[in-house]
Amino acid sequence: MDDRIRAVKEKALEQIERAQSLGELEAVRVRYLGRKGEIPLLLKTIGTLPPEERPSFGAEVNSLRERVEQALERKRQELERQVIEARVTEEKVDTSLPGQYFEPGALHPLTRALRDIIGIFYGMGFTVYESRETETDEMNFVKLNIAPGHPARDMQETFYLTESTLLRTHTSPGQVRGMLSMAGELPVRFVVPGRVYRRDPTDASHHPVFHQVEGLAVDTDVSFCDLRGVVMSFAKRFFGEETRIRLRPSYFPFTEPSCEVDVSCVLCKGKGCSVCGNSGWLEVAGAGMVHPNVIRNGGYDPERVTGFAFGFGLDRLAMLKYGIDDIRLFYSNDKRFLSQFRGF
Amino acid sequence: MKVPFKWLNEYVTLPWDAEETARRFTMAGLKVEDLYYDRLDISGVVTARILKVTPHPGRNDLKVGVLDAGGPKYCVVSGAPGFSEGNVTVLAVPGARLPGNVVIGTRDIAGTRSEGMVLSSNELLTGGSPRPREDIILLPSDTPLGKPAEDIFELDDWVIDLELTVNFSHCLSILGVAIEASALSGAPLRLPGILEKWQWASPRGSAEPEGMPKAKQKFAIELPDPDLCPRYVGKTVRGVTFRYSPVKVERRLWLSGMRPVNAVVDATNYVMLETGQPLHAFDEDRLRGRAIFARRSRPGEVIVTLDGEERSLPEGTLVIADEAGPVAIAGVMGGKETEVTEDTKNLLLESAYFSPLSVRLTSQKLKLRTEAALRFEKGVDPTAQAAVAERAAEMISALAGGEPYPGRAETNVLSPCPKVIRLRSKSVERTLGVAVSREECETILSGLRFGVEKSPDKTGSSEDSWCIVVPPRRVDISEEIDLVEEIARYYGYERFPERHLSKAIPGGPPGKDFVRVERLRDFLVSLGGLEAISNSLISPSDLAKLGWDEKDPRGNPVRLTNPLSSSESCLRTSLLPGLLKAVIANQRAKVPGALLWEIGNVFFRSSEELPLEVRELGIVSFGLQRPKTWLEDESLSSFFQMKGLVTAILELAGIEDVTFLPKASMPFHPGKSARIVAKGSTVGEVGELHPACESALEIIPPVSMAWLSLDALLGLSQEKKFTPISRFMPVERDLAVVVPEEVPAGEVLGAIKQTGKDLVSVTLFDIWRKPPVPEGFKSLAVRIVYQAFDRTLTEEEIAVDRQNIVRELERRFGAKQRV
Repeated sequence: MDDRIRAVKEKALEQIERAQSLGELEAVRVRYLGRKGEIPLLLKTIGTLPPEERPSFGAEVNSLRERVEQALERKRQELERQVIEARVTEEKVDTSLPGQYFEPGALHPLTRALRDIIGIFYGMGFTVYESRETETDEMNFVKLNIAPGHPARDMQETFYLTESTLLRTHTSPGQVRGMLSMAGELPVRFVVPGRVYRRDPTDASHHPVFHQVEGLAVDTDVSFCDLRGVVMSFAKRFFGEETRIRLRPSYFPFTEPSCEVDVSCVLCKGKGCSVCGNSGWLEVAGAGMVHPNVIRNGGYDPERVTGFAFGFGLDRLAMLKYGIDDIRLFYSNDKRFLSQFRGF
Repeated sequence: MKVPFKWLNEYVTLPWDAEETARRFTMAGLKVEDLYYDRLDISGVVTARILKVTPHPGRNDLKVGVLDAGGPKYCVVSGAPGFSEGNVTVLAVPGARLPGNVVIGTRDIAGTRSEGMVLSSNELLTGGSPRPREDIILLPSDTPLGKPAEDIFELDDWVIDLELTVNFSHCLSILGVAIEASALSGAPLRLPGILEKWQWASPRGSAEPEGMPKAKQKFAIELPDPDLCPRYVGKTVRGVTFRYSPVKVERRLWLSGMRPVNAVVDATNYVMLETGQPLHAFDEDRLRGRAIFARRSRPGEVIVTLDGEERSLPEGTLVIADEAGPVAIAGVMGGKETEVTEDTKNLLLESAYFSPLSVRLTSQKLKLRTEAALRFEKGVDPTAQAAVAERAAEMISALAGGEPYPGRAETNVLSPCPKVIRLRSKSVERTLGVAVSREECETILSGLRFGVEKSPDKTGSSEDSWCIVVPPRRVDISEEIDLVEEIARYYGYERFPERHLSKAIPGGPPGKDFVRVERLRDFLVSLGGLEAISNSLISPSDLAKLGWDEKDPRGNPVRLTNPLSSSESCLRTSLLPGLLKAVIANQRAKVPGALLWEIGNVFFRSSEELPLEVRELGIVSFGLQRPKTWLEDESLSSFFQMKGLVTAILELAGIEDVTFLPKASMPFHPGKSARIVAKGSTVGEVGELHPACESALEIIPPVSMAWLSLDALLGLSQEKKFTPISRFMPVERDLAVVVPEEVPAGEVLGAIKQTGKDLVSVTLFDIWRKPPVPEGFKSLAVRIVYQAFDRTLTEEEIAVDRQNIVRELERRFGAKQRV
């Protein structure tokens, strides 16, 4: 081997080995392999050699280059490893320090409960129909089979706006308005969520403004069995599979036959407690087959179609679901209450 | 309606105990509100015969007797008239306990030892004293001695307390409940006394049996207002004596929630509870003239009712009057003047049918809720008046002696017209979804005492149907569907299979807006907002405090005609009052800050019949929005926080070309607020709270808020459409320009966006007002991001664009590029 080549090789390998940082290593690389580096310079001297020596000289310089490149690469990897090791040992935070502050928002518990309810009914083919809050006496009562003087008007303390207009006492006028908006099309299947108003003094279980979710299904073949199936499925899914449910005959002027939907008390599991009045049952909804007069008022022929309707008290359902004991909390807008319903 | 279980079993022998009966009642629609065992709390009270009576040594109003209580003997002092040799009575032996924790001991009465006490009915049942002229209890002489009172009298019973829905007025009587119980159990119904003969509660109503004696009556019945009283029966009973009712009757009245008065009044109440037909007994000798009128009251008429109250009668109130004036408020309460007293000898019993609505209105107007009114206003059996009058006369005769006078004074303008309804088995199946068998339908309906007749089928159709005769007592039944309900109730709701609507999911009314509003809610939550729900009933003063007067639509709310209080007397015209109240409440609870929002309807007066309902979004923030931490500075509620929020909402709604014009209306701070205009119309306002409102509301600043018309947002916003993403790299360039202070920054930014080409974003990142920028000027530094869709932008293109921008800014605002 040419002495010059040997000398360059030893020097280069030694300097590579001595390099302390990636910067130094880069300097070494430039010194030997750069455009004006020692190895390209060696190659340039090839012209000064006798022709017969040139091939072997060229080959030796090339093998030198390869050797130096390998050494550089090895050293580079080694130094990089050192750098990373140094970083991970030196860089350190106090992980017990609090992270960046982020305050999540929350849906109102009534909205949360409503979404659960609507989700269940979506699954059974119900859409949403939104109806107005200020109503005529005609829509709120008369069209629902509650003529003036009907004793059922006593059951619902009403806020009046004028002699003939009022704040709806239930979402049931949505049945008639919804049917009319369908203009005779079948099947009819929607829920009506919304605010309702009763002239009851406020206490832990009464608020003059509260919420209901009305439901209506009308078709040529809707029967009491469908009512039973849909309402039972809803209650099971909302309150949980272990809940016992019963339909108990009751009375509403706009449905017949009518029923109350009772679920086994979620607090005492049906054993009897103060919430369920020791009966073990909680009334959660009213339901029934839509009265022929109401079907007619909705623009359908009761001889051709039948339907069922139901109405839930949203506040009551949410109170049971979340264990809230005072309805007024829903309308308090107290951050300490609302922020408890963050999360998914 | 309280139903004592033993009383019920007198009319129908139920195969179930009280608990099981209650469960079955509930599942048949007679909701049991309460079920309890009522046992009279007594001990040591036994039957005893008075063996020997001697005068009391010290007082001649007292006697001393020796009583045999079936072996043990007791020496007892008493002054009762019935305390004489041979009588069997009830003795509370020393140590006996009476209701109300009264303990009977051995007492010294005027120097003589009395070992216990003989009891009157009132003492036994209430632990109180004997009532005026009340004797001790006297029992038949063959009564076994030494028997505990509990074994002799019906002193314990289960009470089923029914919470009846308005369609169950036919169950406001023990017999009415017994009919349901009989239909439920199949056990036969037994009608008491004369009711059987009168076919009470039969499908075509009660009817007078053949061969009843007749006689001329003292009074004529005049019905000048047949719309209010179409039927009135007066039944005379002669020769009654003043008495108290037997223990059994008094006890049953107590259990039913009524107070025993005297045998005559008790008999009328007992028969009312039994049949559901209210009755009233007049002292016949105190009625003036020869006619009884059921008429509307005349101006100025006054009556003193049984409770001793003098009541002026609203004109047109239905009253019962004799020839001198009103003697009763029809269906509500009798008059004092003609009431039954200790001296009453002859009675006129009233059994009438009054218009339900009239009784209801009268009872409401006079605020008099009586058991009678409760029944009349729901509607009683219009055929049962004579039958029940006879039953009551029979009962009075048994309890208070006297003889029913033959016949009745009676006027009836109701025409007998049986209600017949065609019931098609097709309707039953169509509504209920199961084919209830013919036999079962017939069993149910006849069990409930409907008349079930085969349909004559005049139409010639092959339809399977019945003609159902509705008993007149069933005022709740008027059409076919009512009968279907009866079948469903007695078939049993539990027996119906569950089905789930066979048809495919309908198109239905679109829920599209609903879904979009739900997405908006999620977005507001993602920004850290807490959803509020406020009362939509507010006070006019809430509006005044926000600076809205009557001239402003928001200051002129829709008012309730019958509010519960002035604080909830009108409908909200904005979500801001409710949200600001929430701020105040939270501040009182020392909550340092929050971001609250609400979506809901606000209401405006309208020329239409109904008010205008507009859906709005309201947002309010107060105080600390982010606390200072070791990492970051605190941030507070501010105009710019709220504007940022609103801008994001508008952007997400897909609304372009939104301008924020300075100065919103009240309750916004005029210098720190803006009106939000999109497509030429105001869609909302944003800003900080006006200092005047801060002090009116006693609210702690900073408070910022915004409202947006949701209907406008949903109307203006566009469906989301995908825009292809550029493959070419974006290029960032900064630009600083100096403009006069009064130039709004927004206009400069707007001009840059308008002038520049291929701009992706323009962000204002600094405002500089110090040297080298001269006084009265400000430097605005913006970062512009360029990106073309079809090519990489060259430096030359960008330089040209930049030149154009600078030139335009110079032209419009006298801006100078800062280098």
